[in-house]
Amino acid sequence: MPPRIVVVGGGAAGIGAAGSARQADPQATVTVYTEYEDAAYSPCGIPYVHGREIPDFERLFLQEKAAYREAGIDIHYETPVTGLDLGQRTVEVHGEGRVPFDRLVVATGFDYADPGVPGKDLGGLYYVKNIRKAMEWDEVLDSAKVAVVVDASPLGLEMVTALAQRGIETHLVDPHPWPLAEVADPDIVQPVEASWAELGVQLHLNTKVEAFLGDVAVRAVRTSKGELPADLAVVCTHKRPDTTLARRAGIELGSTGGIVVDERMATSAPGVFAAGDCVELPHGVSNVPVQGLSGSHAYAQGKVAGANAAGRERAYRPVYVPWGMVAGKWMIGGASFGETLATALGVPFVLGVAEGISRARYYPGVKKVRVKLLAEPDELRLIGAQMVGQEGIKERADFLAMAIRTGVTLEDLAWMENVYSPPIGALNEPIALAAQNGLASAGR
Amino acid sequence: MVTFSQWLRSNSERHLLEHAQAEMARRYLDRPGPVTERGLGPLFWRRVFVPVYRRLPWGLRRAVIQALPGSHRRRWQGGRPIRRPPAVR
Repeated sequence: MPPRIVVVGGGAAGIGAAGSARQADPQATVTVYTEYEDAAYSPCGIPYVHGREIPDFERLFLQEKAAYREAGIDIHYETPVTGLDLGQRTVEVHGEGRVPFDRLVVATGFDYADPGVPGKDLGGLYYVKNIRKAMEWDEVLDSAKVAVVVDASPLGLEMVTALAQRGIETHLVDPHPWPLAEVADPDIVQPVEASWAELGVQLHLNTKVEAFLGDVAVRAVRTSKGELPADLAVVCTHKRPDTTLARRAGIELGSTGGIVVDERMATSAPGVFAAGDCVELPHGVSNVPVQGLSGSHAYAQGKVAGANAAGRERAYRPVYVPWGMVAGKWMIGGASFGETLATALGVPFVLGVAEGISRARYYPGVKKVRVKLLAEPDELRLIGAQMVGQEGIKERADFLAMAIRTGVTLEDLAWMENVYSPPIGALNEPIALAAQNGLASAGR
Repeated sequence: MVTFSQWLRSNSERHLLEHAQAEMARRYLDRPGPVTERGLGPLFWRRVFVPVYRRLPWGLRRAVIQALPGSHRRRWQGGRPIRRPPAVR
């Protein structure tokens, strides 16, 4: 009898798992349950529709619903799973009762952390997640004059840029001394601040949100430094793993609150796999578990979990977390640690920093690229990197993540080969310049 | 319900990060550190835990971190850098 594979969650990890399971075993019955009206769209694209860089929300969907049916994936929309019975090997489905499974993939995603202040249940607070809600909010933005973005998380940065581009008076409130302070270093984000100022964004750093004020809907945000009027507030707090079902079923959770998995994405319960924002994974350099990564991480984990649920043997790897984003007119990005995070953890490191250029110095449109490399002090193996520029950041972040994974040293990078072609690459690669400076500061 | 390891991780991470952010803000921006919580609990983490943690050698810190339960204690391959010889000799 073909295996019955149930997937809980219709985001990137859930759809990745479902597709991969069907591919690995075309006889398997694959059923996906999602509480939402849609599955498999890109929530990461939502800020760019709000900012009018993407013309409509329809482009964010990966496929039509019919395509999943044709692929043999049975998606039950607006059908929440309310419980897991691992002993009986069933899931409790709203409106359908107990549904048996042979293998289960938990891909329940994330929730935003509770802002923990009075007024958090008022109308006018926007949590960017569901595409249907985003469509409704997009109409609200047409008439909004003033918006407050709460927390300078990656999503917060994207929303600030989108709202400012939309012509809305935008305030960003964050308790840290610089935006994205839990991910990026201050020297990397500083150009972004200047570019936001050009767009009219008002930054309220070192400032805490104390309350959302209003009767039915928010009309102002009270902060530690005064009150800000607001037609809406975009709440961009931390992504917390949604592990309610897993926890109630007795599946082991780790120190991040995410589901504990091994390289097969197998949980502590036999035949139960998990993937995406609800799991934690070891960081490749520190071996410290991390959680809440990107959609591409979630999708790849889902594919591994789905294949294994269908009887294959696939392994995911510890993560080195290449990241990148556009904020204001800048691109920022990196891999593994920045200087701030390495300092916090107490990881010993040597620093190499350089400012290079993205194209030949004489080629029109040439941009500055600042590269910062971190290496461990003994063999000078790369352990982290951060960058800011206006082009070529994503490709460098991907390359540097792979360089860290494979044990590349500052010596290797300092004398690396690089593409030299005036419109796309300079004579001196900025990464190589940073590595040379790192060698000099290490006295080598 | 928050387990002990989740409580330890969340508090230690937060206060170590705040300390590092304050150091970086001074060094790069000449700005004050992040807004911190008041009360005896946060005071303990800031005044006792952070200085003690920072005085420990990295090897000991690492051993403590590794001892916490989590995905890193399960089977994972490929966590260490792999340097292979050339594909064609």
